[in-house]
Amino acid sequence: MKNLRNVWQNFDFWLFGAALILSIVGIALIRSSIAGNIELEDHPQRQTTFLAISLVVLFVVAAVDYKYWITLIPPMYFVTMGFLLFVFTAEARFGAVRWLEVGQILVQPAELAKIVIILGLANLFSNFKQKSLNPSMILRSAVFVGGLLIWIFLQPNLSMTIVLLVIWFSFLWITGIKIRYILIVVAILIFVILIGALTGFAFLADYQLQRITNFLFPDPNARYGETYNVDQALITIGTGGWYGQGYNQSSQVQLRFLKVRHTDFIFSVLAAEFGFVGTVLVIALLVVIILRCFYISQNAADSFGSLIAYGFGVLIFFQSAVNIGVNLNVIPVTGLTLPFVSYGGSSLLSLMLGIGMVESVAMRSPTRA
Amino acid sequence: MNVFPQRSRRYEKWRYTVLYILIVTIFGFFLLRLFDLQILQGSAYVAQANENRTRIIRDPAIRGTIYDRNGFILAQNVASYNVVVTPGYLPRDEGDTQSIFRGLSGLIDMPVNLGDTDEETVRAFTPCLSELGISEVVFIASTNWPYQPTALKCNVPQEVAMVVMENREKWPGIDVEITPVRQYPTGELTSEIIGFLGPIPAILEDYYVERGFVAARDKVGYAGVEQSLNDILAGTNGLRRVEVNVAGEIIRNLAEPIDPIPGDDIYLTIDTRLQAIAREALIDEMAFWNNFAGRTISNNGVVIAMNPKTGEVLALVSYPNFENNRMERVIPGYYYEQLSNDPQRPLFNHAISAEHPPGSVFKMASALGVLNEGVVTPDYEIFDPGIITVMQRFYENDPGTPRQFVCWDRNGHGMVDFMWGVALSCNVYWYKVGGGYQDEVPGEGLGIWHMSEYAKALGYGTLSGIELPGEQDGLIPNPTWKRINLGENWATGDTYTAAVGQGFVLATPLQVLNSISTIANGGKLMDVTLIDRIVSKDGTLKQELTPSYRWDITKDPVINIYQGNNPTGETKAVEPWVVELANQAMRLVVTDGTASRYEIERHKALFQNDSSRSAGKTGTAEYCDDIAAAQGKCTFGAWPSHAWYVGYAPWDDAEIAVVAFVYNGSEGATLSAPVVRRVIDAYFELKAIDLENSQ
Repeated sequence: MKNLRNVWQNFDFWLFGAALILSIVGIALIRSSIAGNIELEDHPQRQTTFLAISLVVLFVVAAVDYKYWITLIPPMYFVTMGFLLFVFTAEARFGAVRWLEVGQILVQPAELAKIVIILGLANLFSNFKQKSLNPSMILRSAVFVGGLLIWIFLQPNLSMTIVLLVIWFSFLWITGIKIRYILIVVAILIFVILIGALTGFAFLADYQLQRITNFLFPDPNARYGETYNVDQALITIGTGGWYGQGYNQSSQVQLRFLKVRHTDFIFSVLAAEFGFVGTVLVIALLVVIILRCFYISQNAADSFGSLIAYGFGVLIFFQSAVNIGVNLNVIPVTGLTLPFVSYGGSSLLSLMLGIGMVESVAMRSPTRA
Repeated sequence: MNVFPQRSRRYEKWRYTVLYILIVTIFGFFLLRLFDLQILQGSAYVAQANENRTRIIRDPAIRGTIYDRNGFILAQNVASYNVVVTPGYLPRDEGDTQSIFRGLSGLIDMPVNLGDTDEETVRAFTPCLSELGISEVVFIASTNWPYQPTALKCNVPQEVAMVVMENREKWPGIDVEITPVRQYPTGELTSEIIGFLGPIPAILEDYYVERGFVAARDKVGYAGVEQSLNDILAGTNGLRRVEVNVAGEIIRNLAEPIDPIPGDDIYLTIDTRLQAIAREALIDEMAFWNNFAGRTISNNGVVIAMNPKTGEVLALVSYPNFENNRMERVIPGYYYEQLSNDPQRPLFNHAISAEHPPGSVFKMASALGVLNEGVVTPDYEIFDPGIITVMQRFYENDPGTPRQFVCWDRNGHGMVDFMWGVALSCNVYWYKVGGGYQDEVPGEGLGIWHMSEYAKALGYGTLSGIELPGEQDGLIPNPTWKRINLGENWATGDTYTAAVGQGFVLATPLQVLNSISTIANGGKLMDVTLIDRIVSKDGTLKQELTPSYRWDITKDPVINIYQGNNPTGETKAVEPWVVELANQAMRLVVTDGTASRYEIERHKALFQNDSSRSAGKTGTAEYCDDIAAAQGKCTFGAWPSHAWYVGYAPWDDAEIAVVAFVYNGSEGATLSAPVVRRVIDAYFELKAIDLENSQ
């Protein structure tokens, strides 16, 4: 064990600082999002509490050598699967079954699944030494991911399914999948879409199909119909201008024309109240986090650490891109939140846990950050 | 550290580079999109956001009250109490809400629950009309407009409204909405004058919305003065620009609110008492003759009374009409349909819109012309054998076809001068002076061109300008008109029939009254009006009747002089002695002429009473419309006829003129004259009563 002081010298303040600022910005925006809604009144308080807990977790996880997690992967994998099975049979909340109530706190087991998958895949692929992947390796990783993914898909939780698939694919990508395999997968995807088109997308739930339809073919007359949320989000963003209307000042937010503003559409709140400048700053902070993750990945002491940092970098990148894309109405509505900023205790906790692991990798890397 | 296997494999740099490119591309695209939305399209989205939060509220203006000349209410607003619910203000606790619903349910006799709602019931939801329970209405309202009051029960009794209002503290979210409902206390007595209200028609929606009306809420006049004076009565709705949140809750005023301006009150010239008497006299007379004849002679008639000096209309009866008090809240579909399909056309104002041949009443137009043009002198006597034959010529050298013209008295009146021509309503006299006859009246007599000039001078052929919708202008024919519309030349016989108000001549009862009223008034054609005064809600007098006239035929040169078929461009007025002699002749009608006889005991007292010293002119206008033709009545010498009578009193200083018209009433003297005389007598009785009361 190295000198502890030396280890903390490599603590990445850029990464930590950006995550902390985003979380604080998030709490401020959640406070603005209350807008007189009594049900949301305690949310900034709760998010602050979660942030405090998350920071403790972050530092504890950072202090611990990330390699100790290897032994925890199999038990975590099966506990997560148990949670998912439990949720799968539990009662419905918010349309689809995604939550597990532990005391007063709602836990989303899928959040746990993301960490387990990243750790598990990092471990799996770091054992693989060849330059390019062979089919048996791809198959093994697929079985590992599939064991959890199937239950999430059946919930049904399409967005989380896609997140996990993207993480899996990103691991295949970085560990050296051949371009020809990608082309085969693309061909299969096109085939599936064609089959889907012929069968009327019977495998999608009604609401998922409707969201995609609404995105692709919006009804121009549906002023208050299914496209309402997205339309209002666009209006809200548009009112921002250069510097925004000011904190707590956006009529779209404060008069509650913008819906789900504390989670899915919190980026719109930011855009309306802090304008183009505010959104550029927040996007910059997100990019800092993602780039630091990749930088740490490229300079990690070993391939396990490298893949952990890489996995969390991809996760944050993908979630940010999808959430902002939904807000800007360039992709269909999904349930993905904006990392660090959106309201959500388990999401913040798992993200900070991830940052803690990345810090742990950074602290133990040979090159100074 | 060494417990773990050392796995130090470096991953390919280019694979990272691809990811970096992806990050730059995606976030770069987002920044471009943000720049487009926030900076380039920003103002459009700001406008949309403002549209979201801004709502225009038009507080309703109170509609003006309509009074008669004595301040008797003919149309007013009464409060209607609606029990309303504002879901946003209901208690949060489900149990509390349910107990409010239960308490209210018994009070307003409305079930708490009544089955389920589905998309269809929600779509078809109309407050007060949909068969739903309280919970269902609250459910629909709370999902659609939680902060707008929605009516649960409309038009509850005042006592119920009071109980609800007392419970306001205990029942948050439940309230009473007081909406004005137009009430017509006099109903069908004055419905042809007052009219009724209805929703803003879709075709006029833009027009009214531009003027601040609210399409689904405000009502506008559909008939009568409610329609014609709508602009005065309606007032101006208020204007408030408010900020609302997504639930429709009002946050604040965005601009200084403009209060509604209430509509003005209108005092009509109508005397409701005289109106009632006129209507009663008409219905009674028709009922008597229908009963007397043992068949339905007529169920359709008009009585109009006016002051010849001022043009004020004191009574205007068009029978049959409709009950406008049945249309106070809504226009019932079945009732409206029934009215529309009635062959007597109760929705049609016969007094101003029905065009009929005026018959002998029209002779007074010819009379002025004959004397003023010097066709004959007043003393010149013309022979009436009862029947004459004229060679009908359509053009200059037409050898002509013989056509017979008869007097109403086939025995003839013998030698007749001007006064007796009027008094006995001798047709042959008027044929001869109107169209010329051999050596007796050389040439063409008065001729159609001059005849039409005198008719127009008395107001025929033009609108009187009464403040009622749908007035018609009648028809005064001339050769040009006939060529254009019938493709035929004017014939001598056409002049004959026109001279006695038959043939092509058409006039409304109001025109007929106004023409005689002009002679009674010494030649002034008054502007007919229904408005006595207009008073704003705060009591200021905004308009008061100042009698005005279109022209004085004895002073204004309104007669165009014709040479043959062409106007010479010269004009002249009517000699005052001509008007005076016409007036005297109409007095002779009452004292010794056609209106002096009573054919039945019932009218003896009425006709012998000359305390009002009235003058008048009878008219029995033959007609042949679709109904009569279908009954095969249109045969020569036996045509059906309308009964006309116009009277005024006192004959030498008239202050009341009355016309009565009875469709298919056979003879003016027997059916219409009694109605007119009763109204005139009643007028003086009312005048005496008023005089007594004011002392």
